[in-house]
Amino acid sequence: MPERPPRSIKILATLPLNILLNGVLIVPFAIMIYLAFVKWSPLMGINWWEAPFIAISNFQRALSDSRFISALSRTALFVSVVVPLEFILGLVVAYILQSEFIGKKYLVALLIYPLMLPPVVVATVFYLFFQPYGPVNNIFLYYIMGKRALDIYWFLDPTLALVTIIIADVWQWTPFMFLILYSGLSAVPKRLVEAAEVLGASKWRIFWTIRLPLIKPLILIALVLRSLEALKVFDYVYVMTGGGPGTATESISLYIYRLAILYQDISYAAAVSIIVLLIIMIISRVAIYFFIEKR
Amino acid sequence: MSPEPEKKKETFDPERRKFLVTIGSTVIALGIGYALGYLTKPAEVIEKYTTVTETVTKTVTAPITPTPTPTIPGLSNVAARAVLGAKELVEKGIVPKGATLRILHVAGSKAQLEKAIELWNKYVPEIKVELVTMGTEPDVYTKAMSEAVTKTGAYDIITIFSTWLGDLVEAGLAKDITEYFTKYDPEYVGPCAPIEPLGSYTTLYKGRRYALTLDSDVFTLTYRKDLLNDPRYKEEFRASYGYELKVPDTWEQVIDIAEFFTEKRLTSPRGGRVWGAYFYAEPAFAAYISWTNIFLEAGGILFDLNTMDPKVDSPEGRYAFDILLKLKPYMPPEAISAAWADLYDKYIHGESVLTAAWPSLTKMAISSPDSVVKEVTGTALMPGVELEIGGVKTLIRASPNPVNWVGIVSNYGKYPEASYLFLQFMTAPDTGLEVILAGVILDLFRECWFTDPEYKAKSIEGYGREFVEAYLESIKISYPDFIIRGGPEYASKLTTAVNAVLAGTLDPETALSNVASDWDSITKKYGVDAQLEAWRALAQLFPEDIKKAWRAKGYMR
Repeated sequence: MPERPPRSIKILATLPLNILLNGVLIVPFAIMIYLAFVKWSPLMGINWWEAPFIAISNFQRALSDSRFISALSRTALFVSVVVPLEFILGLVVAYILQSEFIGKKYLVALLIYPLMLPPVVVATVFYLFFQPYGPVNNIFLYYIMGKRALDIYWFLDPTLALVTIIIADVWQWTPFMFLILYSGLSAVPKRLVEAAEVLGASKWRIFWTIRLPLIKPLILIALVLRSLEALKVFDYVYVMTGGGPGTATESISLYIYRLAILYQDISYAAAVSIIVLLIIMIISRVAIYFFIEKR
Repeated sequence: MSPEPEKKKETFDPERRKFLVTIGSTVIALGIGYALGYLTKPAEVIEKYTTVTETVTKTVTAPITPTPTPTIPGLSNVAARAVLGAKELVEKGIVPKGATLRILHVAGSKAQLEKAIELWNKYVPEIKVELVTMGTEPDVYTKAMSEAVTKTGAYDIITIFSTWLGDLVEAGLAKDITEYFTKYDPEYVGPCAPIEPLGSYTTLYKGRRYALTLDSDVFTLTYRKDLLNDPRYKEEFRASYGYELKVPDTWEQVIDIAEFFTEKRLTSPRGGRVWGAYFYAEPAFAAYISWTNIFLEAGGILFDLNTMDPKVDSPEGRYAFDILLKLKPYMPPEAISAAWADLYDKYIHGESVLTAAWPSLTKMAISSPDSVVKEVTGTALMPGVELEIGGVKTLIRASPNPVNWVGIVSNYGKYPEASYLFLQFMTAPDTGLEVILAGVILDLFRECWFTDPEYKAKSIEGYGREFVEAYLESIKISYPDFIIRGGPEYASKLTTAVNAVLAGTLDPETALSNVASDWDSITKKYGVDAQLEAWRALAQLFPEDIKKAWRAKGYMR
């Protein structure tokens, strides 16, 4: 049996990576935590390490900031709509594609194509789609509603504007769900399915009692990953509605961006980011505990 | 497992461990030392900066005679002073031969800055100039603020929105150029000076000079001449409204004209509806422009000149919303939801009758191959508000000047004086006009470009005669953006509220109350006294008509 290298060698070998990771991740993160407890903006004309300490004032401010609370609630609503939608659509498509047919390989490749596009491109395309004279009104809805379709102004109404963002997100990210679920369903042992079929089980029963339970861990991973990603929604909101009308579609990421970049309110943005991070951590931990560890 | 390796380990491990620990400790110590060195470095910079500030203060209190200017064939005195000044810096060894100045700027102004560099290279080949191009305006702001924090000296000159000037001065990035300004005299007084008040309010902050203006962004009323002059429409309009159809003088008249043409349900050549009006109400950044225009013309003042309390939640604020809400049915819904460029698209395709925007709208309307309004675009002063001042009805007119590019010299650049001289060169009467006519982002700002026959002919070639004549008057009644610290934030909060009111998601009273509260928080964040000092200095630079209204209402002494 070969000799195990001593611990010191291991440490030295990983030192460059540790320095890099600490420099890139830990140090900025530590600075962000520090900034959340001081009052600092570059516009104050002082260095960040000279900023006055204000304890938890930034956090208190966030709790009474109605725009922050609205943005957070809106983002939660967004996640709770898009993630189940994408999951159901992804699952249905993945199930349908379990059967063999000519051109299936190409269809699968085509289905995952939206994933390869930058979200900002998708957002721009959907922004154009939903213009009053864009294809959504002028082609799809025109057949249902006639000329009245041309009077629908998607980005003027807070609900409709949010719907457009949801549609764009679902279009781009359903393939992500599909990809994970498709690979999961494909890996289900055929003999189990065939045995059930021989015993006379219906397709629905096979799906519900055999296929689905077997891919449960994958489903949970897909849901958690997608939820975390959806919580960070920015591109679609920024490009399609700018958070408007007013702040009616502003997501938490867009709000933090505005605080930090447009308003240069860096220390408050740091505090808000930490609150969001804590919320995400707690939700993820609870989800992992209930859906993975507890079972 | 054989005992031999165990023995080997016992023999060699302690020494190797000691060696590794020593090496590791050295690396960590070096890292900590470097970090400490880096952290302490900026403190030295601050010390140096303080010394420079003191020197400048002493210099400007004494009268300084502008440097005598030997002529350079083919160059104006302003440009010649810049060229000779730069050559002298090289001769004295203050700037090494072959040194490079770096300009941070937005992509849209590339053609114009390249022209400036081309001209500069002809006369000052000893100092090179390089462009660092950013995609969009917010990118420039972000980079500039990063530079203010990191102090790398990566840029010598930065072209910025005048709206950001307060932020960049307070963040320590914009250098006080009063000394250079006095020494090299870019001619901010005289027949060829930048038109006032624009020349002052875009370059001064708390009474000191921090920028040279590169641009003017004054709004004019742009209208369809063919429709407003059509005898048939004139007759119908008189019958309906009881007065002549003409270019509107007031916002009330704008509403009538907008209603008249919207109700006509005309169709544009590409099949879209022709709307009576299109004024900015969009959510990203421009909605504040329309509201502030009406608010100021109605005699409103943004902040109290004694306390810095926001004064937007006032009768003038409600009046501005009243006008915009009355106009809303006659504007395309995209005015509230689309990006700012949609106004340009609709106008050049003949889908709005009255509109207001930057000078580039006229440039586009008369020169774009897509334009269907090339021959029928008219330009006039912005509509005003009639006020009773001293018992006399007075029409107060003012023009917004949103953003307005200016050039600043970085406090952390290696060659600040040479950087200033480049800015002076590229904004001189002769070279400046060439630069402006080379692109679309930077626009006319010197008076002689409108009055001197030779310059005026060139200006007309680029903008059209009617625009040039109306634009000069518009600049004279132009007012500044929020050129105080936090300017972009003040403007953004107002834009969000105006957009929400016009979209119907907020009522005007709540919106005004929210804006007042938000503005108050911003002011308090930076300190009432500091903000008040900047606001008082800026308020003095507003056009006379607005100050007259403020005095009449008791807002200003």
